Amino acid sequence: MKITRTFIFSIVFLLAGGLLLIAALQRTNEIVPYRMTTLPQHVVPSVAFEAPGVTTSILRFPNEDDSLSFNLEIPTVSYSLIVALLFVGVGTYGLVPLQNERAQRTKTNGLILAGILIIPTVLILAAAGQSTNMISMLGASFRLGTPIIIGAMAGIWCERSGVVNIAIEGMMLTGAAFGFVAYTFVTASIPGQGGLWIGIAVAVASGGLMALLHAWLSVTFKTDQIISGTVINIMALGLTAFMRREVILNADASFETLSEFSIPLLSKIPVLGEVLFTGKPIFFSMFLLVILTHVMLYYTRWGLRTRAVGENPHAADTLGINVQRNRYINVIIGGLIAGLAGAWFSLETAGGFRDGMTSGTGFIALAAMIFGKWTPFGAAAGGLLFGFSQALDTRFQLLNVPIPVQFVQMTPYLVTMIVLAGLVGRATAPKAVGQPYEKE
Amino acid sequence: MRERLIRLGFTSGALILALGVTALLISMFDHSPIDVLETAWDGAFKDGRRFSAVVNFWIPLTLASIGLVVTFTAGLWNIGIEGQMIIGAVCASWAGLYFEAPSVILIPTCILLGAIGGMLWGMLAGLLKLRFGVHEIFGGVALNFIAANIAIYFISGPWQPPEGGSAQSTPPFQAAATLPRISDDLQFNLLFLLITIGAIIAIGLLLMFTRWGLTLRAVGKNAQSALLLGVRTERVTLSAFMVCGALGGIAGAHRVLQAYSSLRPSPAGGIGFLALLVVLLISFRAWWVPFIAFALAAIIAGSTRVKTLLQLDQSLAGVLQGLIVLTILIFNGLADRLTRKDHHE
Repeated sequence: MKITRTFIFSIVFLLAGGLLLIAALQRTNEIVPYRMTTLPQHVVPSVAFEAPGVTTSILRFPNEDDSLSFNLEIPTVSYSLIVALLFVGVGTYGLVPLQNERAQRTKTNGLILAGILIIPTVLILAAAGQSTNMISMLGASFRLGTPIIIGAMAGIWCERSGVVNIAIEGMMLTGAAFGFVAYTFVTASIPGQGGLWIGIAVAVASGGLMALLHAWLSVTFKTDQIISGTVINIMALGLTAFMRREVILNADASFETLSEFSIPLLSKIPVLGEVLFTGKPIFFSMFLLVILTHVMLYYTRWGLRTRAVGENPHAADTLGINVQRNRYINVIIGGLIAGLAGAWFSLETAGGFRDGMTSGTGFIALAAMIFGKWTPFGAAAGGLLFGFSQALDTRFQLLNVPIPVQFVQMTPYLVTMIVLAGLVGRATAPKAVGQPYEKE
Repeated sequence: MRERLIRLGFTSGALILALGVTALLISMFDHSPIDVLETAWDGAFKDGRRFSAVVNFWIPLTLASIGLVVTFTAGLWNIGIEGQMIIGAVCASWAGLYFEAPSVILIPTCILLGAIGGMLWGMLAGLLKLRFGVHEIFGGVALNFIAANIAIYFISGPWQPPEGGSAQSTPPFQAAATLPRISDDLQFNLLFLLITIGAIIAIGLLLMFTRWGLTLRAVGKNAQSALLLGVRTERVTLSAFMVCGALGGIAGAHRVLQAYSSLRPSPAGGIGFLALLVVLLISFRAWWVPFIAFALAAIIAGSTRVKTLLQLDQSLAGVLQGLIVLTILIFNGLADRLTRKDHHE
């Protein structure tokens, strides 16, 4: 039998489902239907449960207004039984040697469903016998997803015009460092949050400068785009470390970060209000950027031209589009966006700069972009997924899950690899990506 | 001929520009570039001990670089070299901590385990690429992080010192795992030096004169036509990853045995990335590796001295390296344009 992706993932789910099934069947006495309770937070949740001795995972959705708070109580064993059966079913069907197109599509959809189900399942199993705050969990997913999603947008601008950009990491790091340096310089003379805003402007600009370098090397000089990107990454690492020791350590920088605010009215919506409409400026700009990128790409003349340049620069050139200019501008805009993602680290979150503080986020952003098949909304979904798996980190530690922290910290990277390995279907890059354009 | 001269001129021009920019940076922070140069030179070459520090940096850097020459020849971007070094270091550390044997057996065992560990980790990147189409850059970056986490797991978990865990290091290795040094003055290990020199010669000759080298080059130049000509591209790609991983693993073993005598977080310490720079600088020619690696090792060893004496940080070395590669790339681009124009005329 030929080993295909479907085959491998089917085996994985079959095994996972089998293990879960064995675990669930050892506690058959605990199998009960699920129920949802609306309770004020201060009432101990177990009071509401009639069947004693049943392990439940309690997902809390607290709200400032007690009457809007509710808890989702899920009987852990029954839930895992259902999921286990589903996994086993999907896995078995995936192994049935049916080759026709419809069966293949059903198999793929089943596997994708199982893949999505992993997310709540991990959380519910981790919270067995305990309760966990879902609002903060979802909020953390969005927050941690912010630099990934913004970075992915930076990647889309570049790569849709046909320039591979593995230097997003370096551009982010530069933005983070120079933004913070600028902030330390001006903060004394500018009261309030003004310094931070200047810092953001500098971060964005410095990301753009790095991108200019990338464009210069890869568009004008036609250097291999991966070489150019790698050099920028290494360069950024050295330069920012130098900046930190020579400038930042000497400045008496405070740990101030951008302040949080809520959007009036919208932030009062239960659950969504706190997750989506309360946050810091760069967090909000993420939503704007995703929408803007989408509109730019699909509804403007510039977007059409960009896509043409990325797919077939020769044809675009014939039609009078200036390929070099288009690539320059798109790469630089991408760099500006990456600089903003860098500001998220130093100015919105940490209130300081550490060496290599972006720790691979630029690469994860690229993975999210590939996950979304180079579309803004798809990439945003990918970024959110990675944000979730990072949020899981802290959650696991809070819940005392007996898995070493280091293994939990690997999850984003494992997810990245699984995504890149193509569970979501072969990614189709813009056709001309990576090739310098030679005018004939 | 004229083209060569132009190239040479441009490359030296690039070096001068990079040094100039660095000098400018140094003077921006109120130091004299000449002082810095003098201190750095002293720091690297003043006596046997300081020279040993250069050699001890040169050994892993050269091993990793020579491995990268192999993967680059096959057209592969093995960014995962850092992770391969880390896994090599972890495997060697196991032997260093728990494999009780006299020095003569123990040290070769450490090296061998390091090589095997690195080889397997390299193979993983290769398999991800070949079987699942994960580009080696992304696979490599992810595997680097995973390797770093594995190292930290062992340090703060199973291998923590008996007096209680710190995330800083494992207990020191057995006494038998201490690398013998040539003399009090020359504090580097002969075996590793020989392995390194052997690796340079072996890889250089293999690439130039064997069928394997030829197929590697064929795959690197044009994988598709190589496949059509009957080269088993998958096998060649995998072998390149494995050779590179093994050399990286030995480099990792050297790091833990020589530098720390225990396993610490990020044992590779960025040497893998530095090796990438070395290989980019020499555009993948094996014979140049030892010299460029030596120059970089001297810059780095020298800059630690600069740090203690002049309060200028050693990250300056990183800036200089980045600048050198960058200017050379830019000047290469300029030279390309110039020579191309010549052809038109």
